[in-house]
Amino acid sequence: MTDRRWASPVFRLKGHLDAILTGAKYLVMPRATVRYPEEVIELPEGYRGFIAYMKDLCISCGLCATVCPANAMKMYVERPESGGEAPAEGAKPKRRPGINYTRCIFCGFCVDVCPTGALEHVETHDVAYEDFDSMIYPPGEFAAGPPKPEFERPPRRLRPVMDERRGIAYEPAD
Amino acid sequence: MMGLLEWILNLLLSPWLFVPLIYPGLISAFAVLLFIIWLERKLAAKVQLRYGPLYVLKQLGGVIQLVADLLRYLSAEPIVPDQADRLAFIFGPILLFASSYMATVAIPISYNFYAFRSEISLLVVLALTAMAPVFNLVIGWGSNNKFGLIGGLREGFLITADEIPLFVSALAMAILYGTMDLVRMVELQSRWLWGIVLNPLAAITFFVLMLLSTSRFPFEIVEAESEIVMGPFTEYSGILYGLTMGASYVKLYVLSLLFAILFLGGWEPLPPLEFPGSWLILPAAVLFLKALVMMCLSVFMRSVYPRYRIDQALRLAWHYLFPASILSVFLSFVVLMGWFI
Repeated sequence: MTDRRWASPVFRLKGHLDAILTGAKYLVMPRATVRYPEEVIELPEGYRGFIAYMKDLCISCGLCATVCPANAMKMYVERPESGGEAPAEGAKPKRRPGINYTRCIFCGFCVDVCPTGALEHVETHDVAYEDFDSMIYPPGEFAAGPPKPEFERPPRRLRPVMDERRGIAYEPAD
Repeated sequence: MMGLLEWILNLLLSPWLFVPLIYPGLISAFAVLLFIIWLERKLAAKVQLRYGPLYVLKQLGGVIQLVADLLRYLSAEPIVPDQADRLAFIFGPILLFASSYMATVAIPISYNFYAFRSEISLLVVLALTAMAPVFNLVIGWGSNNKFGLIGGLREGFLITADEIPLFVSALAMAILYGTMDLVRMVELQSRWLWGIVLNPLAAITFFVLMLLSTSRFPFEIVEAESEIVMGPFTEYSGILYGLTMGASYVKLYVLSLLFAILFLGGWEPLPPLEFPGSWLILPAAVLFLKALVMMCLSVFMRSVYPRYRIDQALRLAWHYLFPASILSVFLSFVVLMGWFI
């Protein structure tokens, strides 16, 4: 209220009218959000979604479990009875990473630290789980690939573009 | 069998049953309630460039969202707190809702269709609507909750600040028309001009006070969710909460109907159409459309304004709106003198 003009009731009445007209202007502007399950926004390159694990590349170094700040990644001792490979004669059983998505913060440290590139981000980020137990992926399930979101119908893909007037707008991606 | 049907139809179409029960009474009040809350959310969403309620009946933009909400309220358990005053706690919301929509009985639909015609029907409407906030005080006290008490006190401050100028600006129109009979007012407006042209000051004052007394934004001070949880309604759950939430919207509906009759020419002008039942449907529809425009304008304010503090609202009411309503009385006299000279 430093502006002295606000002391005048006429000026204040004009302020109210301006506010209502601004609201009316926004009322007819196109929306800035998308109808999510039917329309999805195309994700940018390098998006940190769920993590894919390539078992063949893994050297069981355990760096991912060490670096994980949320303790989501954990090394399991692989046993034949829990779906793992049987160790060679006289060798120790191998250790493999498993992930707990209830803890994962999608920081991507494990992907960065992996010396052989056995861990990789995928674009998937929207999967609904029914309980916490199914969010835990031991090595066998982790290697089977990241989960896929289930849509009723295949969604329309949109790409965000910068718009001079509106700030953000969407165009069909394909 | 046909005789019975005819008898029931005649009974329903008799004004003293149709007006309080169907239109503008209970059933249309409920329909408006369900529609206007959806519209309020949708308008706010549109101004904020998002979608708002959508998934209940998607083809029509989620218009029956509030039916789903109502079902939820109906199936939720109304909890009565141990320390609350049970009588006030349970009957408060019921009486609040009832007294909010009771004023519809005095609102006429056309020249010859009304529950009762009286010399003072304007006063009857105003008096019945002014009764509702008293139950807010009762609820606030009875629920034995500090937020409820603060909300009730705020309502107490606001009743005196809004009802007096509201009465004065409505009476300015009564002076202008020389009658307090709502039917006669519409008749006079169809012969002269609409009230909003004759006395714009009274119309603006009445509209702002309508927002104030039904706790629409920017005067949503009694509930004030971010300050005092839900004001007097903090302790409520289930259908009792649904009633408290609906009461202010029903009051808005009644006052919008009154605004349409006082300032917007009521059911005039009628479109020149003829079909069976047009003697009742046409005036009812015109009146309803005018009231609906006023309600849309009122709920649109939510997306424009933040909330006033209680002292700001009281200053606005006592320092600006009360003098403005007195001025509008003088304006009425001036217009009357200009008319006769």
